[in-house]
Amino acid sequence: MLRRYLARRLVVAIPSLLIASAIVFALPRLIPGDAVQLMLAETSYAKDIDELRAKLGLDRPFYVQYVDWLGRAVRGDLGESLWTRRPVLQELAQRLPVTGELAAYATVVALLISLPIGVLAAARQDSLADYVVRSLAILGLSVPAFWLATLLIVLPAIWWGWRPLTGYVEFRADPVAHVTQLLLPAAILGIATAAALMRLTRGMLLEVLRQDYVRTAWAKGLAERAVVVKHGLRNAVIPVVTLLGTQLPQIFGGTVVIETIFGLPGVSRFLFDAINQRDYPVIQGVNLLVVSTVVVVNLAVDTLYAVLDPRIRY
Amino acid sequence: MDLSRRDLIVAGATLAASALTPRSARAQTPRRGGTLSLRLWDPPHWDLDGTISYKTHIAQTFTHSRLVKHKAGPGVAPGTLAIEGDLAESWTQPNETTYVFKLRRGVRWHNKPPVNGRELTAEDVRYTVERFLTVKGNANAYMLRSVDKVEPLDKYTVKFTLKEPFAWFLDMLANPMALAIVAKEVVDKYGDLKPWESVIGTGPWMLDSYRPNIGYTYVRNPAYFVAGQPYIDRIEVTIDEDNASRTASFLAGKYDLGWELPGGINRSDWVQLRDTLKIKRPNLRVVEFPGNVGNHISMRVDQKPFNDVRVRQAMSMALDRKTLVDTLYEGAGVANPPGVPLALKDWSLPVDQLGEGAKNFAYDPKEAKRLLSAAGYPNGFPATICWTTYGSPVVVDHAQLIVKYLKDVGIDAKLDTKEYGAYISTCFYGKFDSLAFGPQTPFLDGDNYLFGYYYPGEMKNQSHVNDPVVADMLVRQRRTFDVAKRRELIHDTQRYLAKQVYYTTSVGTMYTTLSDGALKNYGPNLGYDYGGRLVAAWLDR
Amino acid sequence: MALFVRRKPLGAIGAVIVVAMLVMALFAEQIAPYRYDETVRGARMKPPSAAHWLGTDNLSRDMWSRIVYGARVSITVGFGTIALAISVATAVGVLSAYFGGLWDLGVQRVVDAWLSFPYLVIILSVMAVLGPGRLNLIVSVAIILAATNSRVIRGTTLTVMQSQFVEAARAMGCGHARIIVRHLLPNITATIIILATIGLGAVILAESALSFLGFGVPPPYPSWGAMLSGSGRTYMLRAPWMAVWPGVAISLAVFGFNMLGDALRDVLDPRLRGGR
Repeated sequence: MLRRYLARRLVVAIPSLLIASAIVFALPRLIPGDAVQLMLAETSYAKDIDELRAKLGLDRPFYVQYVDWLGRAVRGDLGESLWTRRPVLQELAQRLPVTGELAAYATVVALLISLPIGVLAAARQDSLADYVVRSLAILGLSVPAFWLATLLIVLPAIWWGWRPLTGYVEFRADPVAHVTQLLLPAAILGIATAAALMRLTRGMLLEVLRQDYVRTAWAKGLAERAVVVKHGLRNAVIPVVTLLGTQLPQIFGGTVVIETIFGLPGVSRFLFDAINQRDYPVIQGVNLLVVSTVVVVNLAVDTLYAVLDPRIRY
Repeated sequence: MDLSRRDLIVAGATLAASALTPRSARAQTPRRGGTLSLRLWDPPHWDLDGTISYKTHIAQTFTHSRLVKHKAGPGVAPGTLAIEGDLAESWTQPNETTYVFKLRRGVRWHNKPPVNGRELTAEDVRYTVERFLTVKGNANAYMLRSVDKVEPLDKYTVKFTLKEPFAWFLDMLANPMALAIVAKEVVDKYGDLKPWESVIGTGPWMLDSYRPNIGYTYVRNPAYFVAGQPYIDRIEVTIDEDNASRTASFLAGKYDLGWELPGGINRSDWVQLRDTLKIKRPNLRVVEFPGNVGNHISMRVDQKPFNDVRVRQAMSMALDRKTLVDTLYEGAGVANPPGVPLALKDWSLPVDQLGEGAKNFAYDPKEAKRLLSAAGYPNGFPATICWTTYGSPVVVDHAQLIVKYLKDVGIDAKLDTKEYGAYISTCFYGKFDSLAFGPQTPFLDGDNYLFGYYYPGEMKNQSHVNDPVVADMLVRQRRTFDVAKRRELIHDTQRYLAKQVYYTTSVGTMYTTLSDGALKNYGPNLGYDYGGRLVAAWLDR
Repeated sequence: MALFVRRKPLGAIGAVIVVAMLVMALFAEQIAPYRYDETVRGARMKPPSAAHWLGTDNLSRDMWSRIVYGARVSITVGFGTIALAISVATAVGVLSAYFGGLWDLGVQRVVDAWLSFPYLVIILSVMAVLGPGRLNLIVSVAIILAATNSRVIRGTTLTVMQSQFVEAARAMGCGHARIIVRHLLPNITATIIILATIGLGAVILAESALSFLGFGVPPPYPSWGAMLSGSGRTYMLRAPWMAVWPGVAISLAVFGFNMLGDALRDVLDPRLRGGR
């Protein structure tokens, strides 16, 4: 049963990937102004533009470029950045861990905040504690992240002469500094996600707590903690996990602001610059990577879902 | 601002600056050693012939040499760009189209493979020029378009033959965007010069390491051809893309020079940080001088309504340049004349010396309305301004103020905001229907400011100017070798352009350059030549 | 109504904030003492005072007036985006769930593919193709929102479809349109309202982040996001009121919409009705 389900999901994932790759390829090219014009901007002459375009292979027909790219991508060659001429895969390999770590810490922060709060809010629905705690969480997501980050960098410098934790330190160079530098940005990111997760946890838990088997547990006289945590939370976790899964692509784009402000060489900033510069191979490469990762993660989440809840095998 | 007032301000600033430093810099002997900390940019790659990016060119001024360079040092007035020899010991010009350079002897490449410290020869120069002109994708190749051939006459002599007389040839050679001399073996070994390991030159520092997006480090070249120099042992470069973070770092003492080009900070930041900096970094040296980034409105002078000079005059008179300077730059800005901005002291002309055209630069909305009426637009007319924000709040504010001033005289201009890439591929190169606005590329020579913008058919001729009088003047000044005569020609050109007002020239900022008091024998200037300005500087800490 | 205030005080606070915003947006000309682009002579970067409640900015414009007009921008962009997004999401979600089968499979694959993109790419690409502008911003953000919302609506529709009266309607031979309009839509209205309210908060936040990246509402319209991330940020040290008030406005607005949405969900969601 499970295997057939998995196989079906896998087969279904492939067309998703293909559609996505086509979109990935087409979208940047629809944008007016191309990489060559930008590269040669401001001091160039017409002849140079055509020459450079030919050299970069951008004058071939659209579908030729697409097939060429796809063919090489399948073999692991994502091409070279039009601007830096370094291999895209190499650039990604350097930057992905940074964003990944940031996202991981942010998720941990988010979970640490949201789960206890969500549980508390659900268990004490409509009490003062519920209100206060929910207000704080929503406030956390209402304040624009870049504003908060800016304040947290500039004000300490003025008040205490405190140099900001910017300027990326690699793990190899100084493990402790490496981790600490990511804490503030991760906290800011985490706070925003925490609110969404908290709301979901609270909602799901509230729903679960009304279920029959939970009422039975109450009736049996189980301690509140046992009921809430053991029965309630376990079932509420599933949608939370699903939500995390869908948040994944957003992490790749959504950390741009934080990466810019804190000077972290991550994938988001890289992608943002690439879009602005029409660096097609980079845009395509990052998108393809993200899309593939998401499809894989979704598949894993669906599997987890199916394993945990036998009813979901449609 | 006229010449005398500007000089006063610069003199005053220098006076104030020297009052901030406890000891006079002139009397001391240079000290070896120390590490300088800078904020610079992350080069897209390291091949100077493959990019126009200032990020790469600035980085190479530390490691490479050119035939000639701009004089640097505290004694050089900012905005003056006198030329002196770098790799060239001397040069002669036997006729209008021939230059013969005598190279220094004993100049050695960095002691890294594959050159391993061998001596530089005329053949290296020839190779560099050839590569510069032929490598695909070198958008700066136009700078040496006039070169016909380059021949090494012997090991230390190089002869350049030009296709036609070009009085600015030496300026082109001195510009950091052009001819940094490279070695053939390095190119052969790496295929091109993009990897950072291929950054091998004859300059005062060597590139020791590079961490993309994070920073890079230069170390002193012990075999540099000027004995004793450089004095500074190490330069740590940090890449920092966020202004809040740069501000905080600077306050905490991290950078020895201001973090923006060319070693300063934005006016708006300066005004806010001034007092805090007095406390946190009391020995900071401040030098202010006009910047060479011009802002102007371009218009389709080949179409109605801008083909009528009265309309163009009206537009220029509509701008209150004094208030613009006060609002945008906290009072530290300049009203530029047409073409060459005031920053280029040797070539430009203050607005009040523009003669008959000077009245077009006065703030006179009543007269503007009268002119519009006379031209047949008593109720003004609608227009569209194509522009992009460049990610700068100052540009955004500038654009909004311009709209307001134009509206005051009846020109209902709507802002057509474009994304940067779209703007560059259209309006920046003249592809617009009504008006366009924005900052312009900062050049270091008078020719680029004029020729590209006013010569018929040039890509950057945004206003579509087609005026035979101007075209003739532009060609003539290119062939006038006598500097004084050329200057006169350029001034005449500016006076004529002031009457025609093909562009509405707006205001530009003053640069506020900052350097740590411990940095001695340093003088800021326009342009990318950080290396040239630091080679004879030393640290006293 | 009174019950609502007593049972859901947070939601009531949210409602007050939302109403205040709407009033500011609709009656900006009456409420604001100056126009948003009006420069007041001699009043450059003045701190809050009796003459200028929230101070003035670096172009000598009254901050309070700009905040009030900014509400209009936020509401227009917000409602525009939500309207577009919800319409598309409902169409896609309901039809996909209703007809099911291969159609559902196919549509969901496309939605999947769409959602697996970093939203930054889509928004930037669309904005770059269309160019900056309020309408283009609405379209780009709506595209993302529509995709995520369609998932939720589809889920809710699936649940509703399993209820007995829908089955009964089908058994009775009612036409598709009738079933959708009379039975499905009313039951997912609650979900839609909740999505809309919370979505408004998200759109306002998104616009401010996009402004920071250079893709927000272009001048001359005063959007809170642009005020916060542009000159506001530049002059933060000298004239903090230029950045503080837009920040407060955004935070309050988002807070208000979220609180209201939460309260509405508690009240309207049939599954949660029925107390503890």
